[in-house]
Amino acid sequence: MDNPNPDNRGEFFDQFLDDYYAECDEHLVSIRRSLVALEDEINTATLDRTLLDNLFRSFHTLKGISGMVGLSAAEQLAHHLESYLRELREGTVLLSNSGFQALVSGVSLLESVINARRNDQPIPSIDETVERLQTVSSDSIPGKTSEPQASESEVNATRWLIEFTPTAELAERGVNVNSVRSRLQEIGQLIQAKPVVKAAGGIAFEFIVATNADKSALVDLETDGLTFKPAPVESAPRAKDNQPVATIAPASVVRVDLDRLDELMRIIGELVISRTRLEDQLTELKRVTPPGLWRSLQETSLSMSRQLRDLRESVMRVRMVQIGEIFERMTFVVRDLARESGKKIIVQLSGGETEIDKFLVERMMDPLMHLVRNAVSHGLETIAEREAQGKRSEGLLSLSATTAGEMIVIKIADDGRGINRRLVLDRARARGLNQGSTEIDDAALLDLIATPGFSTRDEADRESGRGVGMDVVKKATEELGGRIALATKLGEGTTFTIELPLTLAIAEALIVSVNGQRFAVPQSAVREVMEVESASTKVLENNEIISYRGKVLPLLRLARVFEMNYQRGEKFHVLVIGEDTNAVGLAVDRIIGQREIVMRAIKDPLAQSRGIAGATELGDQRVVLILDVGALRQLAVTSQH
Amino acid sequence: MITSLGSLRKVKSTQAGSGLEAIERLAIEPVDLIVLDLNMPDMHGMEVIDFMRKHQAYRNIPIVVLTTKGEESSRTQALAAGANRYLTKPFDPRQLADVVGSLLNAS
Repeated sequence: MDNPNPDNRGEFFDQFLDDYYAECDEHLVSIRRSLVALEDEINTATLDRTLLDNLFRSFHTLKGISGMVGLSAAEQLAHHLESYLRELREGTVLLSNSGFQALVSGVSLLESVINARRNDQPIPSIDETVERLQTVSSDSIPGKTSEPQASESEVNATRWLIEFTPTAELAERGVNVNSVRSRLQEIGQLIQAKPVVKAAGGIAFEFIVATNADKSALVDLETDGLTFKPAPVESAPRAKDNQPVATIAPASVVRVDLDRLDELMRIIGELVISRTRLEDQLTELKRVTPPGLWRSLQETSLSMSRQLRDLRESVMRVRMVQIGEIFERMTFVVRDLARESGKKIIVQLSGGETEIDKFLVERMMDPLMHLVRNAVSHGLETIAEREAQGKRSEGLLSLSATTAGEMIVIKIADDGRGINRRLVLDRARARGLNQGSTEIDDAALLDLIATPGFSTRDEADRESGRGVGMDVVKKATEELGGRIALATKLGEGTTFTIELPLTLAIAEALIVSVNGQRFAVPQSAVREVMEVESASTKVLENNEIISYRGKVLPLLRLARVFEMNYQRGEKFHVLVIGEDTNAVGLAVDRIIGQREIVMRAIKDPLAQSRGIAGATELGDQRVVLILDVGALRQLAVTSQH
Repeated sequence: MITSLGSLRKVKSTQAGSGLEAIERLAIEPVDLIVLDLNMPDMHGMEVIDFMRKHQAYRNIPIVVLTTKGEESSRTQALAAGANRYLTKPFDPRQLADVVGSLLNAS
């Protein structure tokens, strides 16, 4: 840097800052991943060396680059985190529970400090957290003498391995495992105490003590039959059963702006459209072209189609990120919430390696976080409540992701108290939302709690930083072409299942026609397609209905929604959308076929219209509107009264 | 409290306040049976069970787990690790005496 003074910011410096934030993000992701793995090793004597090295390196880098951009709060914080890591690495302190908590809060604060700088907000104070880190650095063993010890000197502490063989005689003289242990705690830091069986079959205890005291302090012990020798140097990183923690090696990664990938995707979209056009033209050529030539043309067209698909998938893969990154963030939120509310929570993660489009991740981050917060704050009970019900005291929160076809399925499940239907119904009635039914199924329950402004929580609870409600969660999911479902049982827990398309840019769609106008319906939203005779529909209170699987299915005539003139034919087609009792039938004239479509949002507000999600172009250069299934279903539900 | 059971039945009993102490008792006097809590300072009851079952000399000493942890997973774990019985607090002293008696008679 020519000029390290942060007040003198030029364009160059801005560019530099962008790089700084991006690099911070990478290190924070890697740190969080390592911390999650490190949590399993609290209170163990030999920590996984690779994990510690990775953490140490990341903190060290963050310290360096924060110094370069003049963000001294981040620099100092990273320095203290690094120091604690150094002690853990050298084995002079044991990773205690409070030590781990200090690490976690240090990392959270580091992230807040960096974000505060990025958003030009006031930098939070780091004093308290730094103090915590300093405390755990020199005091990891409970019962240790309180005499202050400089952490520098602890670095030079020697580790001794002391062996004690208990006998009845010694016990009579008051020399037993407890007295030995407390004597050792006076000499230094007790790192390990464990029983071993000797070759002859007798039992002995092995203690490892780290101390600055010299040998003479230990010689005393020999009179009581204890032996001591320098502890063996920490063994090589111990083999772990599970996979080594994947860490991103920053050097082998290229950062690309998402916009550039969007541009690439747009070009591929154009190519898909051109090829569809080519195929249509080929069909026309068939009559006038010699068969041999036509066949080879068609082969070329087909292989181009395959290559296009490969290209598309490759670019899509570049956009994909592992959902585990988000899960890990959530684990941290859960930890904080659990501590605040005095609950014990075990978080189970599975399918973290499942990949999802970066764009979708960004959009779903807040909604998913909301569901997790809800599960912790409202779903899971306190320890006392759980024990009273005979449940294990730790609440279970499981986050899982799998792929199913073109969709990714994310589940957020807790084994907490479940949603109380009666309370929800009472609340709904008080707000005039309920028509007096006393029984509702899970889907209807979800619709109720996702009604904008609906909350069974008191205002005070809603103040606690939950920015979005269930309505936003549902809306966000549907806007992305996904679906959300709820399963809850009182006293047993709640599961939210979110299905999202793997990517948004290109989707399979059904092309339908209404009054000569064509529309595209994303196939992921359609549950069933059927042919219906006009004579079999009934009109009930101004609503057209048909019977469907023993139930009533309200029909939504697209022609009416979009105010087109239409003639009722003898037969028409119905696309069933939505779940179970909330299903709605979209009535269209004809199904034309199935196509790959390239989604384009309609950005001009004059052209935007309710029920239309965007537009696409088919091969014949005519624009086809893409239906917004979520909005249409909402329209059908609200028009029913 | 539990010690008083011993006097009832001509059984000599001794107590240990932690997992390490329990193992120390094993080292310095013959033990026919252990009544073990799971939640102990310094060494968890499960570790004590593992330690005992791994070593020839203590493999056959019956272990009765007596703990407040009533859930099924803890029970299954303890029994799988080699505990002979699993009782939960609060407990019926007569039941404990019966269990101890039958295990001692069997061995």
